[in-house]
Amino acid sequence: MELEKFVANFAAQFDETDASIFTAETKFRDVEEWSSILALSLIAMVDEEYDVKLKGDDIRNSQTVNDLYEIVKSRK
Amino acid sequence: MKIENYGVVLTRLTEEKIELVRNWRNDPKISQYMEFKEYITPEMQINWFRRIDNENNFYFIIEFEKKEIGLINVRDIDYNEKVGEGGIFIYDDDCLNSDLSFRVGVLLNDFCFETLKLEKLKAHILNNNKRAIQFNKMFGYKIVDGQDDVNNQLYYLLRSDYIEKKERIIRLF
Repeated sequence: MELEKFVANFAAQFDETDASIFTAETKFRDVEEWSSILALSLIAMVDEEYDVKLKGDDIRNSQTVNDLYEIVKSRK
Repeated sequence: MKIENYGVVLTRLTEEKIELVRNWRNDPKISQYMEFKEYITPEMQINWFRRIDNENNFYFIIEFEKKEIGLINVRDIDYNEKVGEGGIFIYDDDCLNSDLSFRVGVLLNDFCFETLKLEKLKAHILNNNKRAIQFNKMFGYKIVDGQDDVNNQLYYLLRSDYIEKKERIIRLF
């Protein structure tokens, strides 16, 4: 599981935000487009792409994209 | 009255909590998305509560992990037409823009369609509140035609549309 690919998959959930702004250190909740719909989309993406169940608590307790990556990686 | 599922608890609003709700509601981060944006006084709040404390209106404090985080409601219920109007706001920043909004939404919609036996819910959403529009569409709300120039737009959710969308949502919880 690659961090770069995870960041790209994460960025692909956003419709209006330029994918190039996303890095592992991006604080995703500070991105203007972030919403409850994107939280749900993220859970669906991680389930589909990585076969990992990401929980709402995981998202609430994470600050950066890398925090999420580490959670997903630990459950693979 | 309490409703509990999907990790959240809805407790029916009582008079002792209306000051908490007034403080939330007067905060610009909430009032900016409301049609009525004026400052709400304690007197206005108690008058409002007396108008809504009945079987045609159900307002619930949302609790998550024993913390009060927001308000959700179905109001102006017409039991003959089997329709009511939904509304929600999450005040707590840590809980905003997370799956909690969906957990709470499913819980209230289930209450409306299964307990109250409504057939349709409506919602008014300001046309600049993109998050709320997307959120409601995820549940199956559809905008009523011919409102391009309307600021506070009317949406409807049919029970059949909700049941179809609900299954896709709850499998992500």
